Amino acid sequence: MGYVSKTKKSLTPSGSWSNLWKQEDYWATWLGITIVLLAILFWSIGNSFMNWTIIKIPIYSDYSTALSYIGSHKRTLLTLYLFFLILFSIAIKALSGEVKRFLMGFTFLFLLSVLVSVWGSWDVMKTYNVETPLLALVVGLIISNLLKIPYWLSTALQTQFYVKLGIVLMGASLPFTLIVQAGLTAFAQATIIAVATFLTIYWTGTRIFALDNRFAATLAAGGSICGVSASIAIGGAVKAEKQHVSIAISLVILWSIIMIFILPLAIRTLNIPPGPAGAWIGTSEFADAPGMAAAAAINEQAIKTFTLMKVVGRDMFIGIWCFIMAFTAVTRWDNRYAGTKPDALDVWVRFPKFVIGFFIASIIITFLAASPNVVTPKALNNNIINPIIELRNWAFIFTFLSIGLTSRLKELASVGWKPFAAFTAGVLVNIPLGYLLSVVIMGNYWITVK
Amino acid sequence: MNPNNDTCVQRASFIFNYYEKNKWLPGEKPPLVDIIKVKDVKPEKIRYFAEFMHTRLNRIAEMMDILLTVHDDWVITGRRDHIMMETESFDFNDALKALAIQGYCDDEFVLKVEYKRKWGIL
Repeated sequence: MGYVSKTKKSLTPSGSWSNLWKQEDYWATWLGITIVLLAILFWSIGNSFMNWTIIKIPIYSDYSTALSYIGSHKRTLLTLYLFFLILFSIAIKALSGEVKRFLMGFTFLFLLSVLVSVWGSWDVMKTYNVETPLLALVVGLIISNLLKIPYWLSTALQTQFYVKLGIVLMGASLPFTLIVQAGLTAFAQATIIAVATFLTIYWTGTRIFALDNRFAATLAAGGSICGVSASIAIGGAVKAEKQHVSIAISLVILWSIIMIFILPLAIRTLNIPPGPAGAWIGTSEFADAPGMAAAAAINEQAIKTFTLMKVVGRDMFIGIWCFIMAFTAVTRWDNRYAGTKPDALDVWVRFPKFVIGFFIASIIITFLAASPNVVTPKALNNNIINPIIELRNWAFIFTFLSIGLTSRLKELASVGWKPFAAFTAGVLVNIPLGYLLSVVIMGNYWITVK
Repeated sequence: MNPNNDTCVQRASFIFNYYEKNKWLPGEKPPLVDIIKVKDVKPEKIRYFAEFMHTRLNRIAEMMDILLTVHDDWVITGRRDHIMMETESFDFNDALKALAIQGYCDDEFVLKVEYKRKWGIL
């Protein structure tokens, strides 16, 4: 799973300005905003470059149709490849410096993405509801669980970076007013579910399975707040053992992957409309990237409600959760390593910075849309928002393939039955409660969020 | 869990404040409390400050020596009011043990632990 870089990297001191170019959160923001501004720039000078990059593979029953479409769009694909390669290489240069290996790895990832996109447009796949995101995930899982992923490919499997970039670009398709309005509902709903799930996992872990408080809190955070990000943040805040944080992360990934398949299946079986479906995925999936895969398997509206629920309702508040947990650890639990007092500044330190990019992208487009003398809604959609959505979809396919290619299920499953059982208790609360709130109680609201 | 399957990287940061301790033992008091924003600062308060700093800085140097003896891959940053030692390749429990063996408890330093995903983890 993952890999350890062979080049010894110098450790950067904490809290320096270098975070601005050493953290993927910031790079997702820089690149996302750059793409939004480029789209506006090209449109304003009358250049149709962004529209030209749109690839929509038609649904086909005969492979020759797909092959002829790809054949006639070779230059577009090459341009898209170079566009992403140049932008990503700049970020990789700053993040790890391993640009040469990234070049090889990304080339493979891009070709595999094209292949999966073509395959996902096959009418047989549509008949069996195997959407491209799920297909990308399955292809990745098969490859990584049967073959050893070479080092050069690993450098391109930047799951977090791709999904964060996708989320920043997502901001361009959501009016800021909608984010504020729906965000409040999402926060209220997500908080109820997060608290219930957190307490279930924590109580089950400590009272039934006699797990250490800190371990149980790390597990509970992963299962309730925002997945891996929460486990590592709470694990640090309460000074959990490294092995316990590793186990919590493994469980989050394992259950996230299981949920990518279960939630869309349940949504189709129960005939849930896309809006509430996305909100349900937003409350019940454990991590951003797998949640996006599950939502993308439904439709665009589900992606939007998922993002509002997960990013605005859950991810944003990780810092506050950490502060509460650090305070609890110091005041209520045993007093080991009492050296650190909870610091309110940590709320900002732990804030997921790509969310700022998501807001900025939304604000830029909202302002543009509010200037009717400058741009009509139709022109805005056709020339700016739609091309950005297409680029975002590519970022998501890279994400879904990367999830599969980095997830070795055998390794993830070797965590011990007690933590697994405690985490599963939370899943058993999280899923039905998410359904109840997102579909039954608030379903009529989420249907209207488009 | 097999250590090869670790999914995270731990960063341990030891912060040695020059003027602060987490707990003041009986007879000890913060050295600047009788100096800063105080009218008619007495010379003995300055002497106490000098004495405190002499002891404190020596103890910080000793703690740094201990940590450097048990592990050689630290990033050490000097700041206006503290020294920070950070590592991603040595477990914080082992570092605490090494300090405790030499009689340094956690009232002498601030320990911060951060985790991050290993490369490629969701």
